[in-house]
Amino acid sequence: MNNQPQKGPGESGLYNRIAVLRAERGISRQELADAMDVNYQTIGFLERGDYSPSLKLALSLGEYFGLPVEAIFSKQPLQPLSQQVYGTGKPKIALIAEQETEETL
Amino acid sequence: MRAEFVLLGKRINMTSRARRRWLVALIYVGFAVWMISAFCFLDHLQDVFESMMFLAFWPAGFLVNRYLLGGYGYGGLVKPFYNTQPWPYETPRDPHWLCLVLQLPPSPDKVDYRNDERELRQRDHVHFQAYRAVSVSMVIVTMLLYMRRHERPFLGFLSVPSDLPFAVTLAVLFVSQTLPQAILLWTEPDMEEPR
Repeated sequence: MNNQPQKGPGESGLYNRIAVLRAERGISRQELADAMDVNYQTIGFLERGDYSPSLKLALSLGEYFGLPVEAIFSKQPLQPLSQQVYGTGKPKIALIAEQETEETL
Repeated sequence: MRAEFVLLGKRINMTSRARRRWLVALIYVGFAVWMISAFCFLDHLQDVFESMMFLAFWPAGFLVNRYLLGGYGYGGLVKPFYNTQPWPYETPRDPHWLCLVLQLPPSPDKVDYRNDERELRQRDHVHFQAYRAVSVSMVIVTMLLYMRRHERPFLGFLSVPSDLPFAVTLAVLFVSQTLPQAILLWTEPDMEEPR
């Protein structure tokens, strides 16, 4: 099951958090597809960023996850939700990695 | 698009694109072999043979759609393009011999006939692609018919064989019935699991 954060924007040019949100809530593609009244294949295309949804579907997804649309879809790479909500600074793990890189240089 | 289809009572998994491509290739190669052999063996077609071939090729596209490709029926891999509920019918209790060979589709209330927004967009896209190919073919057929009628040399160095316009017409007839579904099956990626 592909629940990894999206690496690139895909064909649609949009980044999204659908796979992460789905994994957090333990929902299968089929369950989400049934709730959205679409084919489960379409959920896969959305997750990979290969399909940009209609406004209706995007709003339905926002409603389903209880999030605004811009929390699910973005034209820019998305940060982890926790980081976006609780802190604007870099996570400690990223700071340590940066420090190590600087030391090696 | 459906993940499997039933042929001769056997369920065949078609989730992989490679399999779908093989199916499309087999259908068109089979059609080409059938047509070439018909034109070779029948040498100079008489009127009656032309009519028979026309009558044979027309349902060929229909049957291929009905049992393999789908799109314009409730069988096959591609869901019906119409996006409307099928007419209700009753499956015969005592199926005739044809039903034994070719599996009947499930009853209309169980048929997955609805296309979502992505599938509708794909449908329109493949029809656009198929329309371009078929319209170009129609121009070629018309050109061949014109040159044949006026006995003009083809591209200045070759005369048009008498059977060629008819052969191209038959090919266009088959392709126009099947090309959108074939493009769809050819281009869609491997299907994922619903989990």
